[in-house]
Amino acid sequence: MNRLDYLVLIATILAIPLYGLWRTRGSASLGQYLRGDASIRWATIGLSVLATQAGPITFLSMPGQAYESGIGFIQNYFGQPLALIVVCAVFVPIYQRLKVYTAYQYLGERFDQKTQLLGAFLFLVQRGIAAGITIYAPAIVLSALLGWRLNLTIWLAGGLVIVYTVAGGTKIVSITQRYQMIVILVGMAIAFAVAVYRLAPDLSFGHTLSVAGKMGKLEAVDFSVDPHKRYTFWSGLIGGFFLALSYFGADQSQVQRYLAGGSLKESRLGLLFNAAVKVPMQFFILLLGAIVFMFYQFEKPPIYFNQPAYQRAVESGYGPQLEALQTQFEDVFAQKRAAIRAVSNASSNERDEAINKLRDVETRARDLRDRTRGVLVQAGVDPKSKESDYVFITFILQQMPHGLVGLLIAVILCATMSATSAILNALGSTTAIDFYRPLIRPEASDHHYVVAAQVLTAAWGLIAIGVASFASLVENLLEAGNILGSVFYGSILGLFLAGFFIRRVTGTAVFFAALLAQALVFLLFATTNIGYLWYNLIGCAAVLVLAPVLQETLFRGTQASAGV
Amino acid sequence: MKVGDDQSDSPSWRKAYGLALSLFAVEVVLLYLFTVRFS
Repeated sequence: MNRLDYLVLIATILAIPLYGLWRTRGSASLGQYLRGDASIRWATIGLSVLATQAGPITFLSMPGQAYESGIGFIQNYFGQPLALIVVCAVFVPIYQRLKVYTAYQYLGERFDQKTQLLGAFLFLVQRGIAAGITIYAPAIVLSALLGWRLNLTIWLAGGLVIVYTVAGGTKIVSITQRYQMIVILVGMAIAFAVAVYRLAPDLSFGHTLSVAGKMGKLEAVDFSVDPHKRYTFWSGLIGGFFLALSYFGADQSQVQRYLAGGSLKESRLGLLFNAAVKVPMQFFILLLGAIVFMFYQFEKPPIYFNQPAYQRAVESGYGPQLEALQTQFEDVFAQKRAAIRAVSNASSNERDEAINKLRDVETRARDLRDRTRGVLVQAGVDPKSKESDYVFITFILQQMPHGLVGLLIAVILCATMSATSAILNALGSTTAIDFYRPLIRPEASDHHYVVAAQVLTAAWGLIAIGVASFASLVENLLEAGNILGSVFYGSILGLFLAGFFIRRVTGTAVFFAALLAQALVFLLFATTNIGYLWYNLIGCAAVLVLAPVLQETLFRGTQASAGV
Repeated sequence: MKVGDDQSDSPSWRKAYGLALSLFAVEVVLLYLFTVRFS
């Protein structure tokens, strides 16, 4: 990175929060602080919802995921458009009608206080950890590759977010996310164009995609019904539906985004915008990873993308072993380049043989990477980190022109700030409204609760920075967030669906059903290896089955709520 | 409040949901064709 990159980076990440602070200057009522105001329209809501979900991991890890395993991850999003429609039709009208600040207030209204607190508690645990991962994920990679100090990077991303989120509440989160998301989309579109432009000039784009497909990188849809496969059409559609339904319907970090503005119409339009653009957006991000993969078939990649770890192993005395692997890798790379050209020039009779040869050479290249990783593990340097998380950022730093490097680092930091601000805003609001107000200070002024929400938001920010600072390396940043969500989301969603659809159950029955469902998911998580998306379905189904059973057996005498 | 208590879903919203569903179906078909073409 040179001065131009730093100028672009600093200007981009500072200008948006400063503009947000200017737009939200002056004092706000509790309603304005937690729900924004009527100036927030559907486009802002739509971009804000998109930014909250995306986060830095999407832009850092997802191209690397496609580089490593192909674009099949896209199927995880297949349930989302359907879930968003259900949220528009069922959840949003209820939240808007009740004028709730948090989703969990609905549980209090429909059932009782302990069910409200359970829903809010599960959210706080899950999102409190997730906030730390959101800050930690880009910090560990950026600090390794740019030589920045890890703690400095964590505080740079986290500290700025705390300041503006505390100051401006929901409205500043929505405004800043709108512009941060525009920067992200423009930056990624430019990165896509540059990556395509940098592909081998003697191979057309169509031929490049054909070869990528033959190398197993472009299988977007897999109709297999094997439950142990992580990404299939069915797990994405069914498991992904329940994950998305829980995330958009019952996770305060999203609920607060689309309730901002207070209009049913604007909320729904913002969510339907997401239903339309999410799958294509993720497809292009994954395709970018596949294109980067093809780029590195002609331009020699490092044998191991986490170069700082590689260098540490060399310095620890493992240089000769690594050098021997590097020599073999260079030989295999030359063979692979020849094999790709053979595939694209082969007649239809020769094609199968050429493809088999290419796959064979690719397997050998993979084997050399694995052996390199083995040496790094032996050397005790960075043994757990996922190499694929370093692929896209390495491509940015080594292949993009100056200025654009700064913009793309800004994209990653913007994504960090936008996702973190939404989470902190939700954590602070939930703690203030679901715990502090009913349990500690039930009768206080609006101003008092605004200050309480600000203090609690700042406290959660510091906790998130603490989690990020002390987090050990998570094996795969992209998966960690989804797995964490899937473990908790099923039972949270079950609470809400029981409230919406099962008229006769009481708070006590649904409360214990959710506890049992959560215990079941923990047990399955610890003892089986089923695809994590299924936990959403299992947790939710367990609540919906157990709640009526408990109601009819153990809690038969308790009065079912008439609802609110 | 439970589902059914709220009657605010007008036909125009149902059309919007239908449109979003159709768009999603088209996206999946295109992805499937992409997979068939390049795998």
